[in-house]
Amino acid sequence: MLVFLSILTICGCSKNELDTQPLDRYTEETYWTTEKNATAGLTGCYAALRNAGVYGGNATVLWEDAATPNAYDYGNSNGFSLIALGTQTADNAGTGTIDAGIISTRWRDCYAGIGRCNTFLAKVDPVPMDDALKTRMKAEAKFLRGLYYSLLEMYYGGVPLILDAPDLQSQGQLPRNSRAEVVQQVLKDLEDAAAVLPTKYGSADKGRATKGAALAVKARVLLFEASPLNNTTNDVNKWKVAAAAAKVVIDSATAFGYGLFPNYRSLFLPANENSQESVFDVEFKIPELGNSFDLIDRQYNTNAPLRDLIDAYNMKDGLPPAQSPLYDATKPYDNRDPRMYQTIVYPGDTYIGAVTTATSPFKITGYGVKKYSIYDKEANSNLINQGFKSETNYMVIRYADVLLMYAEAQNEAQGPDASVYNALNLIRQRAGLNPYLVPAGLSQSQMRDFIRHERRIELALEGFYYLDIRRWKTAEQVMNVTIYNSQNQAILTRSFNRDRDYWWPIPQTQRDVNPNLDQNPNY
Amino acid sequence: MVYKCNKRVYVLLLIVLSPLLSLAQQRITGRVFNSTDHAPVKNATVSIKNAVQGTTTNDQGEFSIAAGKGQTLVISSVGYLTEEIIVGAASLLNIELKSVEDNLNAVVVVGYGTQKKVNLTGSVATLNMRDKENTPVTNVSQALHGVSGLWVNQAGSKPGQDVANIRIRGVGTLNNNDPLVLVDGIEYNLNEIDPNFIESISVLKDAAAAIYGSRGANGVILITTKTGKKQKPEINYSYSYGIQKATYLPDVVWDPILYMQMKDQALINEGKAPGAVDYSPAQIDEYKNGMATDPYIYPNINWFDQVLKNGMLQQHSLRLSGGSDKVVYNIGLGYMDQDGILIAANHANRYTLNVNVQANVTDKLKVGANIIGNYRTYTEPPFGAPSATNYYFTRLMRVLPIFTPYTADGRYGSSVFTTPGRNTIENPIMLLKEGSNEHRTERTLAKVFAEYTLPFNLVYNVNFAVDKEDGFAKWFVPYVVTYNPKTGVPNNYNIIPASNNYDANNLNLTLYQTLNWTKTIADKHRVSVIAGQSYNRYDVNNFQAHIEGYFDNTLTDLNAGSVNPAVSGSSTRDVLLSYFGRLNYSFDDKYLLEGIVRADGSSRFAPGRRWGSFPSLSAGWRIDREDFFHSGTISLLKLRASWGKLGNQAVPLYSYLNTVNLGYDYTFNNAVVPGAAVAKYNDPTITWEKTTTWNGGVDIGLWNGKLNASLDVFQKRTSDILRTVAIPQQVGGLSGPAKNVGSVDNKGYEIALGYQDAVGKFKYAVNAQVSYVKNKVINLNGETIIGTRRITKEGYPIDAYYVYQAEGIYQDQQEIDNSAHLSNAVKPGYLKYADLNKDGKITGDDRIITGSSIPKYNYGFSFNFSYEGLTLNAVFQGVQGISLYPTANLASPFNNGAGVTKNWVTDSWTPDNPNAKLPVLTTTTGATENFQPSTFWLKDGSYLRLKDLQLKYDLPAKWLQRVTAKKISVFVNANNILTISKFKDFDPEKDITGDTYYEYPTLKTYSFGANVTF
Repeated sequence: MLVFLSILTICGCSKNELDTQPLDRYTEETYWTTEKNATAGLTGCYAALRNAGVYGGNATVLWEDAATPNAYDYGNSNGFSLIALGTQTADNAGTGTIDAGIISTRWRDCYAGIGRCNTFLAKVDPVPMDDALKTRMKAEAKFLRGLYYSLLEMYYGGVPLILDAPDLQSQGQLPRNSRAEVVQQVLKDLEDAAAVLPTKYGSADKGRATKGAALAVKARVLLFEASPLNNTTNDVNKWKVAAAAAKVVIDSATAFGYGLFPNYRSLFLPANENSQESVFDVEFKIPELGNSFDLIDRQYNTNAPLRDLIDAYNMKDGLPPAQSPLYDATKPYDNRDPRMYQTIVYPGDTYIGAVTTATSPFKITGYGVKKYSIYDKEANSNLINQGFKSETNYMVIRYADVLLMYAEAQNEAQGPDASVYNALNLIRQRAGLNPYLVPAGLSQSQMRDFIRHERRIELALEGFYYLDIRRWKTAEQVMNVTIYNSQNQAILTRSFNRDRDYWWPIPQTQRDVNPNLDQNPNY
Repeated sequence: MVYKCNKRVYVLLLIVLSPLLSLAQQRITGRVFNSTDHAPVKNATVSIKNAVQGTTTNDQGEFSIAAGKGQTLVISSVGYLTEEIIVGAASLLNIELKSVEDNLNAVVVVGYGTQKKVNLTGSVATLNMRDKENTPVTNVSQALHGVSGLWVNQAGSKPGQDVANIRIRGVGTLNNNDPLVLVDGIEYNLNEIDPNFIESISVLKDAAAAIYGSRGANGVILITTKTGKKQKPEINYSYSYGIQKATYLPDVVWDPILYMQMKDQALINEGKAPGAVDYSPAQIDEYKNGMATDPYIYPNINWFDQVLKNGMLQQHSLRLSGGSDKVVYNIGLGYMDQDGILIAANHANRYTLNVNVQANVTDKLKVGANIIGNYRTYTEPPFGAPSATNYYFTRLMRVLPIFTPYTADGRYGSSVFTTPGRNTIENPIMLLKEGSNEHRTERTLAKVFAEYTLPFNLVYNVNFAVDKEDGFAKWFVPYVVTYNPKTGVPNNYNIIPASNNYDANNLNLTLYQTLNWTKTIADKHRVSVIAGQSYNRYDVNNFQAHIEGYFDNTLTDLNAGSVNPAVSGSSTRDVLLSYFGRLNYSFDDKYLLEGIVRADGSSRFAPGRRWGSFPSLSAGWRIDREDFFHSGTISLLKLRASWGKLGNQAVPLYSYLNTVNLGYDYTFNNAVVPGAAVAKYNDPTITWEKTTTWNGGVDIGLWNGKLNASLDVFQKRTSDILRTVAIPQQVGGLSGPAKNVGSVDNKGYEIALGYQDAVGKFKYAVNAQVSYVKNKVINLNGETIIGTRRITKEGYPIDAYYVYQAEGIYQDQQEIDNSAHLSNAVKPGYLKYADLNKDGKITGDDRIITGSSIPKYNYGFSFNFSYEGLTLNAVFQGVQGISLYPTANLASPFNNGAGVTKNWVTDSWTPDNPNAKLPVLTTTTGATENFQPSTFWLKDGSYLRLKDLQLKYDLPAKWLQRVTAKKISVFVNANNILTISKFKDFDPEKDITGDTYYEYPTLKTYSFGANVTF
């Protein structure tokens, strides 16, 4: 009978018995109530930068150059080799093949970032906290949302433009907005952010978006708009706007604390993260939140530089090999632009204490990459061979890029004036060229070629060249080629369909679940 | 004891005296017992054929009769097959009677009680574990292969982790499809019990499962453990020892020269320039010459032989049981020791204690306790935890013929040549031998119960059970480096040794109480009512710790590490509260009626959506008992029908809650800052899945049970199915919510046939069963769930394949130019896909829905022959109508730097071999066009397998006397020795949705042993 009673007791409190709560997560209803929680919510917005489809994963940004004449990836990491071959489709972007592929992950991860920013912006207002801090944090979220949307519009074109907190019913079946609408919103977000964000943070907040970052990303967006891909009528005004946007950053360089870091090689080492040259970077830290830059550069060699990039490096006197007296065909790697030695490992170079050959240790093309890697000539027994064990920050935008963007836009808008020369000379001086001055008297067209070349060299293997050859509309020339290794042996032939490949396809998986998404032409 | 000794003396005297008593008529004494549990059979008739003499057995099953040499003794009893024995020299006989399978008194466990099998109105399959006795079953789930209506899929035979997947009557949901398993009435785990201690298993397949309400939709497996019987103490000991081998392994090109040549050719075929292949002609020559002189640098070996050996399996089981009028008891001890087919890191042990005690305290009060203590351990390779064994097979399936096991000076080798894609040489021997990964799970199910008879024939029963699980795992990821066998250059495989501990600490409480009332009115109306209430609480707690910074590989404790500590863990509680009742009514055992209702409240849903009720009704009609029905032949003819509603609550906890999750961290100023984000879109309105089931059946018994047949036709409709749906990523890149999205039908039939008879001393039994199920998604709210190569769509089975339709192989460029093709990389010899929508392009819209991830037919048949003490038993089992889609390493050629199988040597397309079975040889990574999901790679996974073949010899009674044993059997077994299937690259009984060869192989076992009862 006692047993019976005890059982009845249990039944009595049954209503409460069924109320169990999770102890490892917050319920959304009660989350947005404190400053601490809001801060963590904003951190979540930044965290999407580390996703593989954005700037994180193993080494997405390093692999992107494998879709250009700069490099080759035998392993099709993130699907960039399919893009290089011109064989990407809406399907292999997301379904069926070995790798989920950048075409599907970039879509997903950018929207993950956008969704978190939208949630933050929708929920933070009622949170009781310091108003100034709240305003700044909202500006950070807008910066990030603008950055994520800029990646979408630059690769896919128009995408559904969603600015409210995620809601399946109202957002799930939205069609693509026009690219112009997306760009307009990106610019608005970046301007809103720039109006509020500080130029600098205290040391604990190093890595957050600054005013300069918002302005520099805005300059990049405008440059993309002014470029031949999107400016088919060559509207000079677009170039002017782009030049002006870059100039704002350059004019404020002192105020914002920007400048070129004196040493090109060590700019890309962990010791010099967040230097004066870094305008906005993605922060990595081991062991928790690392990347795989060292693994990719040293061991996997899946961003193996191609002969084409080596040939693009001028001699240290600034002249192309064919014109320079310094060039010796029997010693082709001697006396080149100093940036080559700080970026690339070539046959005969010393790498981690050993002299390399055309097949060892870099078998794929004979070349390896130093940039963004801790490995160089010195012997090193700490050979990182696992993913996510490197912590060098990735610079999404650095001051040299701003200078080059300005030079390019200004040359198109006004012609090769002194400010264009100045911008380039700063970069070439830091590079250690001798003489470093850009030859005087270049025509606008010669200057255009000069700037494009300078851009390729200065930013080689940092993941920007793919965007450049698309916006210049030169991809149809430079990608329809056979690629070669260090011994000038053919590796394979690539192709680029000018009617299709300037834009990525919308992933089939997304069109499966949202049939309102139109496909890009010819996919 | 005195009695026992006296009897022994008597027996001895008889043996001694019997030669002296060589008269025409001798006195034959003996004992008749039940072959199932060795209980004595009382009142059995013992007569002499064609004579009038006869006697019956006493309460101890003993008899004594005068008979002459050469005469035939006929021993018969109701419910048993009749035995005939020719009188020989022996005057003391031990006679075993086999019960008629479907004998009228058989009782079946049905949930909160038992029912006579003949009175069942639902569809219940039963397995008597005696039928599996002495077979090398390591997990009880394996014993269910071939049970009618069940699809049992054991993907691989990983020691210690070889539980099979069980699906009862198809796949009812897109969610968890595992049936509910109860041991002696308490929810428990199939992994944590020794099969030797199981008496019987009932499977509730239809509305009968409604008594388990919201957990019954996938069917219910009721396991009953062995208990003591009212008899003298009995000791049973069994032992078996077996050797194990893989049934199938991929047929790999191990010849290093051929491998290198093929790889180079593949690269050229896909468009690489000859100068840019992986192995230069000079390297191939170097290898060719080197093979003769230096096996360390240039090995020529079969790597599978390097890492595989014969496995070993041994099991001991010891059981003491007995009882009196007051107390019955059973104490069992079990031990299993298995060393798998890998040379290391696949050892499993299991230690089981099983105690059952029941006491009649008074006439009215009965109490009892049941304890199952199970401790099991197994090891795995250290890398890739928590699914380390599968991870190991991803590595083993990547090994290349040119990899060196050991360098000349005994260190782990890498490879003389670099192979692109193979930067980290995962020496497969090293991955097994270095480091450690041990799992130890201790689980105890302790149950106490009391039953009290109240006035008015009411019986109150209360059960309380504690199921406590302590799971511990520790894995040490070692410092390991391989060395180039030629240059000695080290290649770091892992230079960050780390130790990890995982601890699970779970507690499930079950409390249920029932009131039972049974009454027979006017000798014809039998009424039985049960009403009950139950409370289940599941507490799941776990944590994991990780640390790095070890000096070397010798000290592996967490305390020996120093840097980068990391921990994680969680604790959850899940509660189910229930009320249930069942009413059984029968009239004259002719008309049978049963009604069940259960109400369940679950903490897995939002308030207001927690309670669901699950009713069922069923009826039966015993036509054979009707007055108008008189047939000497037909001993049983019963019609059955049932309807019921069942539920399924197995969604992840808190699926209804929109949550903000931690762990979305970011770094500022080189310090990690905690971040939070919504990760999943949740639906707060979710509620139970409901399964409505209909069943119609007929049971027939002919010739007094010699032939038994039953036929069931069923339909199961599961509605409000809970499944995580894919949502457009534009909605914040969130994973989709679990939603009640639709309904699925499973329709089918089951036929079971059994025949047993004897011709003289030769006895035989044949059993066969086949079940068919047709799975169809009825409604998904207009949504379609599309995965990499599968689709779940209205009108098609769950997880059907969704692939391009391959139309053969392109023969020349002109053919490519004239048809839609996937990309401009398509070359002659590549696969051609059908442009089904005729838009001139091959896109996702050209995919077709085909194939099935669920077998249409499950079938099995068995033969049992015996002659005197010799028994031969053969069990076959098969599935039909299922597809497999193997991909990745070794399933497709040179996948991401892996090797290739031999069929590509001869069967791949070349201009000279235009009718080849396979496309032109390429790498998988470099010719993705050929390895898109397509019908070309979709394989028929049907198979028929000789599951078990057993030859057993029961030692003759006269030998047993000398060792005072009741029974001694010796046996040999062969398990999984023959498989017939079109699929030959791997065992067809594999992980259906795994789509790779990254599994521990299925094993075949040759075993022998003995089973002794004293």
